[in-house]
Parts: sequence; structure tokens; C-alpha cells
Amino acid sequence: MVRALRWVVLAIAVLAMNFPIVVTLITSLKSQRELSTNPGLWISQPTLDNYLEVLTQTSRFNIYAYLLNSTVAALIGTGLAIVLAFPAAYAIARSEAGKRLVLPIVINLRAVPLIIFAIPLYMMYQWLGLLDTRIGLGLILTIVNAPLALVILVNAISDVPVELDEAAKVDGASSLQVMMMIVRPVIRPALVTTFIFGFITAWNEFLFGLMLTTSRAVPMTVGASFFFAASGGGVKWGTASAVMILGALPPALLGLVMYRQISGSMTAGAIKG
Amino acid sequence: MALVTRAEGRMYLTPLVGFLLLFLGFPAIVNLIYSVSTVTFETLRSPVLSGFGNYVAVLNDREFWSSAWFSLRFGLLTALAECLIGLFLAIFLAPLLSKRPVLMAPLMLPLMVAPAMVGLMYRLVLHEFAGPVPYYLFEWFGDSPAFLDINNAFRTLVVVETLQWTPFAFLLFYMAYSAIPLDVREASSLDGASPLEIVRWIDLPLMKPTLVIAFFIRFIDGFRVFDNVYALTGSGAGGSTTSLSIYIYQAFFKEGAIGKAVAASVVLFLASFIILHGLNRLAGRRKG
Repeated sequence: MVRALRWVVLAIAVLAMNFPIVVTLITSLKSQRELSTNPGLWISQPTLDNYLEVLTQTSRFNIYAYLLNSTVAALIGTGLAIVLAFPAAYAIARSEAGKRLVLPIVINLRAVPLIIFAIPLYMMYQWLGLLDTRIGLGLILTIVNAPLALVILVNAISDVPVELDEAAKVDGASSLQVMMMIVRPVIRPALVTTFIFGFITAWNEFLFGLMLTTSRAVPMTVGASFFFAASGGGVKWGTASAVMILGALPPALLGLVMYRQISGSMTAGAIKG
Repeated sequence: MALVTRAEGRMYLTPLVGFLLLFLGFPAIVNLIYSVSTVTFETLRSPVLSGFGNYVAVLNDREFWSSAWFSLRFGLLTALAECLIGLFLAIFLAPLLSKRPVLMAPLMLPLMVAPAMVGLMYRLVLHEFAGPVPYYLFEWFGDSPAFLDINNAFRTLVVVETLQWTPFAFLLFYMAYSAIPLDVREASSLDGASPLEIVRWIDLPLMKPTLVIAFFIRFIDGFRVFDNVYALTGSGAGGSTTSLSIYIYQAFFKEGAIGKAVAASVVLFLASFIILHGLNRLAGRRKG
């Protein structure tokens, strides 16, 4: 009895929480004609026309550009965050340096409303010519990713037995060699998790995409909103839904494949930090 | 032999610290200068110091206070709702999930979709002609509320935010719950405790640190909300859904009131700093 109830509760929770995704997916599979007559949840004749339209009519839809911009910016933002955070994490885990000031400040950065930095960054980017560039967006995404990257990597390195480092040191390795050749391979899974999680976070970021890009470097999250900007209530729900599904797909797929690893890292900052 | 000498440690920290100083330290200084200056888009490079007028303007702006009130209420209500539902789901579904971990995947899916994208999706879900929710409400009850008008927008946003982020609270609670040793529960069960009593007197006390942390994380995220609110209502319904983040964004981009936007940023930073400082002290006490 209770067991059945658990299944019911699970089904309701999953459906309620994923409801917008389900509705959007269903809408994206409706024909133009059906859309105007049937807003309900069933489809009489599913069709891929909306996806075809979005993916082939490249003169009207910039979807490839948005997808590429998001990918490049997220790759920069994630890769750079790891490159910067890894040595810092090593220093924090293996020496006294950074424990009292750098670590807490960077962790708290996760909780600071990023809008407070956005205006001067906008001006700084204007001077530097970084406005509306993928590199510019990627650099900011590095800041978004840095706090969790640091927390995850500090935790991972702290879990590596110090004896490994010591043995290598006795054999004459420098600390740089220990870090790169002993510790880095051992924490490879944590690096991969950090990368996936960072990529999802960066892909999903919206505020800086909205503020720092206008046309050339617009990421998917911002580009999708353009499909709703049509004035006069003329939103084409079919194509708009197809765009949203395509934009939500990369992080969702990554997340579904890696959910076990990610669930650990999502909570890393919260439980151990 | 030290594994990493002090000098080496500093060297390894330098890239990260340097990067953050450049991208956050410089903006912080610019913020402080501009907040006490008269500045327009034409005079960005030559702001004229003019005292605390911008702060006075912000603190006398009713919209600033109503957006602060929005953020505070929004943060508290969503954090509370997310934690209560998440806690219930974590404990009630634990027997199911521990046997079939793959069921976690659909529960976590909302966390993988961009909040801005979810906001856009709800525009469709709640649209009076194209959305299924008003459609079925009309079909079944002959009437549907205007979800995004001035009376309902706040409630709608709270529900939307709660549905997307309950999985986060749930995840934290589920992990904390799973970490409680089974024999503790078994022992009290042998002593005659009912399942509810075990939750009340064993599980909840042991999960308390996680409960506190999850609440604060969700509160802070709700407090600084931007993406989904902006995507769903664009602060609309007569400004009734302007969060502090949206207030600053609009002062800058829509009104071009740089001084006001920057002063509001500094105020928000101070407020966040005070909140965070309080939380850290609380967390520190918990550890010590």
C-alpha cells in the first residue's frame, strides 16, 4: 500500500517538476494547423516540421550561431576555470596558503548577486573591445564557474593520501611535478565532473549573455528569448518550442548521462564547504 | 619537508587571484567611484565626483524598496517551499530511490535546464490561448485566472521557482538522509518507535545542518533572482515582479541612470555581505 503510494508521489513530483519541458516538447511536435486549434496535451499527428523549419531556414533562424556561441563560450568558461582553479586548489589542500582568505572569498562569490559586477564589466568590455565576443562571454563564465570548480577540486585533492605526494617528493620530484604528474591523474574523475558541471552551468547562464552580447556572440539562452520578442502577439509557438528544446537538450543530455557524478558535485560546496 | 612551500603555494594561487582581481576587483572599484559621481554614457571616462546624491536617490526611490521587498519575500517563500517539499520527497521516496537510483535522473532533470529557458517555457504553459493550463481550466471549470497579471504574478513566480529548484533541496536532503546509519534507525524501531517518531527524533535532528544550509542556499539564490523572472514576466505586471537584480538591470539599460544603478549595486553588495557574514558565522558556530 505505502509502496504504491510512493510510486504515485514520485510520478506526481516528476510530472509537476518537468511539466514545462513536457509541454514544450509536445508543442514542438504539433503541426502549424493543430497548434491553432488544440492547446491540449495530446497530439493527433506528431510532426517534425517545426524542427526542420528551425534547422533548415538558416536565413530566418540563427540557431546554429546561438548553439555555436554557447558551446564556444561554455568551453572557454569551463576550461579556463579549471586551469585557474586546479593549482589554487592544490595549494589550498596541501599548504596553508589561501585557506584563510582565498577559499572563503571565492566560495562566497557563488552567493553574491552577479548583477553588481555587471555594469562596470559592461564598461570595461566596451573599452577593451570585448563586448559581443565569445571570448568576452567565456571570460565571464569563468567567474561563474570558479567557485564550484575550486570547492570540488579542493575536496578531491584533500581526499588523495598525502603519502603519494611525499613518495614522489622523496624521489626528487618538484611540487609542480607532483601536482601535474601524480595528483592530476588521480583526481581525473573530479576534473571530468567539474568540467561537465561547469559546462552545464555556463551553457545555462543568462544575465551576462543578455548584457554583454547583442548579435555576434548571442548564446542560446538569450537567442531563444528572441523568438518571443515578436510584437503583436505573433509568437510562433511551434518553432519557438523547437528552439527551446534544441537549446535545452545539450545540458539536459549531459546531465542525464552524468547525474550520479553531478549530484555529488552539486552538493559538494554545501555539505563539505 | 614541506609538500608545498609558502612561496610555491602563493605562486599556485596567483593565476586565480589575479584573474578575479582583474574581473571583479576592478569593477568593484569602478562601482564605488561611479556611485559617488555624476556620470552618463557620454562621460563614462570622466565621471565628476558629486557626493552621495546617487545613494540618496536610490534610498528614496519607492521602486527600489518595492524590489527589495520582492526579493526578500521571494527568497524566503521559495526557500521555505522548496525545503519542505524537498524534505518530504527525500524521506518518503528514499526506500524507492535507494533500490532504483536511476529514478533520480528524472527528478534532477529540471536542474539541468536553464532557468531563463524554463521561464520562457512557462510563457507557453500559461499562455491564455496557446497554453495547456488555461486551456484545461477553461475546459473543466469554465474559467482560468490570469496567471501573470498584477494580482497573480508573484504567486505564479513563486510556484515556478519552487518547481524548478525543489530538486536541489531534495538532492541535498536525500544525500544527508542516506548518510544516516541504518542501525540507529533500527535500534529505535526495536525500542518501539513509529516511523514518524523516528523521522522526528532521529532523522530531522541529524539532518539539521543540511536543512539549514539548503535553506540559506535557496534563500540567497531566490533573493538574487534574475533569469526566470526576467524571461517570464520581464518585471511586468505593473512592476510587481521587479527583483533587485532586475531593478539594477533596468536602471542601467532602460533608463541609462548609471549612477543610480551603480549605487543600488553597492547597496545590494553591502546587503549580501551582511547576510553572508551572518550565515558564515552561523555555519562556523555549527562546525565549532
